[in-house]
Amino acid sequence: MSWFECTVQEGCVDERFRPGFESALETICVDILGPEAGPVEVSWVVIKRGFGFRAGKPSTTSLVRGRIPDGCDAQTRAQLLRAIGDAWCRLTGAREHELVVSARDQSWAG
Amino acid sequence: MPLYRCVTPKGALTHEQRTEVAKAFTDVHCGLSGAPRKFVQVMFLERNGGSEITDSHGNGMMAYDTPYFIAGGNRGGRPPELKARILETLLETFCEITSVSSLEVSGCISEAPASWTMEGGKVLPEPGQESEEWYG
Repeated sequence: MSWFECTVQEGCVDERFRPGFESALETICVDILGPEAGPVEVSWVVIKRGFGFRAGKPSTTSLVRGRIPDGCDAQTRAQLLRAIGDAWCRLTGAREHELVVSARDQSWAG
Repeated sequence: MPLYRCVTPKGALTHEQRTEVAKAFTDVHCGLSGAPRKFVQVMFLERNGGSEITDSHGNGMMAYDTPYFIAGGNRGGRPPELKARILETLLETFCEITSVSSLEVSGCISEAPASWTMEGGKVLPEPGQESEEWYG
């Protein structure tokens, strides 16, 4: 199983794309990491206007932050991050510099 | 990354205070770590009565017991003293700007390998392995 939290700035990403992205996310995780990466649970956080900043200025950046099964090598993790980023940008129309994607090991205690 | 999420009670901070805190946190992080400003993200989450926030380690939740909480997420690999100094300065700065008592604010910075995050289409470099382009 995997967990992802998607954080978006209010008004920057249309809610209608969410089901499509959630479906794509599960497909990507299972295809790249194997069946143990599914199912994928996704939650959404919307940052209100005036509540999100980047470099000290109002932000349009979204975050997709995940926890995936342990044991993923660096090359596979990079492939996963890129595939998620590509899906996000394709579905939402966002540019890649407006997105941060991360995937931590489930047991990580950092 | 870095990402600093500030949990506050509803309506506790004005837009001007949030803006000032965001700029100050960016200054603190970049001043102490040397990281470029373009990567620093600060978000404010308003809650009443909450006691935990999502976090990408352990069981996925981080507990807190103060009305205000700073949840940081940084690249790992920096000295522990620097991590502690960043958090301490953030908390001091937050209290200075908002006039909130230091007894009402706590915080924690989680870290993870840089290679676990992609930003702007590129996997982040570990601290000390940044290229000139990364600083541009």
